[in-house]
Amino acid sequence: MLRKKRTYKLLQRTSWDFLLLSVVLCILTGLALFFYTRYLLDEELEEQLESRTAFVIAELEEGRQVTSIPPLMEIGTSDRRLEKSFRDTMLYDPFENEPELFRELTSTVELDEKIYHVIVRSHVIESDDVLEPIVASFISILAGAFFVLFFLNKKRNRKLWEPFFGSLTRLKSFSLQSDEPLIFPESNIQEFQELNQELVEITNKLKVDYRNLKQFTADMSHETQTPLAIIQAKVENIINQNDINSTQYGELTAIQKEIKRLSQLNANLILLAKIDNHQFPEQEPINLTRLLKEKIENFSTLTSQEFQLSVKKRPKSLMMNANLAHALLNNLLTNAVKYGDGDKPIFIHILHNELAIGNYGKKTLRNPEKLFDRFYKEGKHPKSNGFGLSIVKKICDHYGFDASYIFKENHHVFKVIF
Amino acid sequence: MKILIVEDEIALQQSIALFLERDGNLCEVVSEYGEAQDKVAIYDYDIVLLDINLDDGSGLDILRRLKRKKAQAGIIIISANSSLEDKLEGLDLGADDYMTKPFHLAELNSRIKAVLRRGKFGGDEQVRFNEIRIDTRSRTVYVNDISIALTRKEYDLLLFFVVNQGRVLSKEIIAEHLWGDSSDLLDNFDFVYVHINNLRKKLSKETAKYIKTAYGSGYKFIAD
Repeated sequence: MLRKKRTYKLLQRTSWDFLLLSVVLCILTGLALFFYTRYLLDEELEEQLESRTAFVIAELEEGRQVTSIPPLMEIGTSDRRLEKSFRDTMLYDPFENEPELFRELTSTVELDEKIYHVIVRSHVIESDDVLEPIVASFISILAGAFFVLFFLNKKRNRKLWEPFFGSLTRLKSFSLQSDEPLIFPESNIQEFQELNQELVEITNKLKVDYRNLKQFTADMSHETQTPLAIIQAKVENIINQNDINSTQYGELTAIQKEIKRLSQLNANLILLAKIDNHQFPEQEPINLTRLLKEKIENFSTLTSQEFQLSVKKRPKSLMMNANLAHALLNNLLTNAVKYGDGDKPIFIHILHNELAIGNYGKKTLRNPEKLFDRFYKEGKHPKSNGFGLSIVKKICDHYGFDASYIFKENHHVFKVIF
Repeated sequence: MKILIVEDEIALQQSIALFLERDGNLCEVVSEYGEAQDKVAIYDYDIVLLDINLDDGSGLDILRRLKRKKAQAGIIIISANSSLEDKLEGLDLGADDYMTKPFHLAELNSRIKAVLRRGKFGGDEQVRFNEIRIDTRSRTVYVNDISIALTRKEYDLLLFFVVNQGRVLSKEIIAEHLWGDSSDLLDNFDFVYVHINNLRKKLSKETAKYIKTAYGSGYKFIAD
C-alpha cells in the first residue's frame, strides 16, 4: 500500500517558509556583520598600536628618556633583534584587579648600537564591548522588520489566493448530477482566470460525457431488452398453442430460461454502470436487522435452506440507498445459498459495524483475491452468473464499506465492515 | 374488455394482442405516437398498455393526455427502461402499473386483471371460478362460500392460476411471479411444486383437480 504523502496548507506553508528564511537570513547576516566589524575593529586596534609605537620610537630617536607604563607600554634593551609581531596575551590588570586580554605589538629598534624592544598593548575587551551591541541591535532591527513583513505578507497572501480558495470550494461541491452550472469567483490574476476557464471547460465536458454515458446505458438497456421481450412473448404464445408436444415444450422452456439469464445479465450490467455513475443519490436510514429478517423470510418460501441470524450488538445506523441496500443483502445471501451445502445452516452475524455471512464449505477457495471480480467463477458452477459479488464489492466501494472473504472453521465467510 | 396497445415494436405488439385476444378481449394496436394520441382522444378503453420509448414521442405525453381527458382507462406502462426515475414519474403521472421488458405475457395478463379489479370504474374485487371465489380486497379465498386459509404464496399462486386460466404456465413463469428476481435461486423448482402441492391439499377435492400438469413440468388451471 502506498503511504499517503504529508500535505500542508498553502498559506501555512508559505508562512513557514518565510519564517524559516527570515531566521536563516538573520543568522547569516548577523554572523557576517559580526566578523566584518571585528575585523574592522582589529584593524583599528593594530593601527593604534603601530602609531603609538611610532611615537615611542620617535621619542627614543630624539634621545629622550621614555619610561615604561606597564602593562600599556614597556621598553627594554636586548642583545638580539626580534621580528615585529602582533599577538594576544593575558596580563594582570592592577586597576581591574584581574587578568585581562591584551593585544600587543612588539617592535625592535636599534639606536646607538643598543637594541630596544618596544611593546605596546591595548585592551581587546574594549572592542568586544562595542561589537556586541552593534550586532545585537542589527539583528533586532532585522528581526523586527521580518516580523512586520511576516504579518503583512500573510494578510496579502490570503487576499491574493482568495479567488483560488473560492474556486476550490466551488469545485468540491461540484456534482455531476446537478444541472446547475459551475460559476467561479472573478479574479484579476491571469493564472487564476485561466484556471477557472479550464475548470469550467473540463466540468462542462464531464457533464456532457456523463449525460452521454447515461443515455448510452438507457439506450443499451432499451435496445437489448426489447428483442428479449419479443422472443419471450413469441415463445409464450407458441407454448399456448395446443399443437406442441412435451419435447418441444422442454425446448421452449429452455429458451425461456436463457432469456431470463440474458435479461438478468443485462440488468446487472446496468446496475453496475449506474452505481459507477452515482445514479443512486437518494439515501435513507437502513435498519439492517429488520431488512435481513425480511430477506430471510422471503428466502424461506423458496429454499429449504436454514438461516441462523444472531445480532450480537445493535448495528450502527446506516445511510444508504434502499435499492442498493436490498441489492447488497440479496447478493450476499444468494451467494451463500448457491454455494452452501443445503443441509448446513447459513450463519449471519451482526456486530455494531460488521455483517458476516458464512456458508459451509470443505476447503478454502483457490483464488479468493479474484472473488470480487466481474465474471470470475470459482470452478464451473452452473448457478453462477459471475456478478453477485462484484455488485457487492461495487456497492461497498460506493459507500466506503470494506468487503472481504475468509475461510474459517469450514465456512466461507463474507464480511462487510461499515 | 377493450385494450389499446401502444408499442412501436410490431412483433411484440402482435404477440401481446394475440395472447390477450384469446381471452375474448378486443385489442387495438398502434405503433406511432401521433396515431396513439388520436386514438386516446377519440375512443375510450378499459386498459391502455403504453410503451414509453416511442420512436417519435414519449408515452408519458400520451399518459398526460389520458389524464387530462379524465379517461377511466387503466394504464400500464411497458418500458425497456428499468430506471427508477422513469417508473416513479410514470406512477406519479397516474399510471396504474409499470412493467419492465422482458416480461411474461401471463404476468402482464395478471397485472391487467389486477388493474381492472382495483378499477376506479367499478371493477369487481371478486374473482370467481366455478365454486371458487377470491376476495382480492381482503385476500381471502372461499370454496363453496367456505373460507380457506392460505399462505401468502398460496394465495398469490391461486389468483395467478385463476386469472391465467386455460393457459400453460411453466414453473419458471410461476416462480418469477411469486419471487421476482430472487427466483433464480430455485435450482430445480421443487419449491414451486411444494407450494402447488400445499395449495392442492387445502382446496376441496373437486377444486384441486382444476390444477393440471401440462407437458410433464408445466401447469394449467382449467375446468374439465
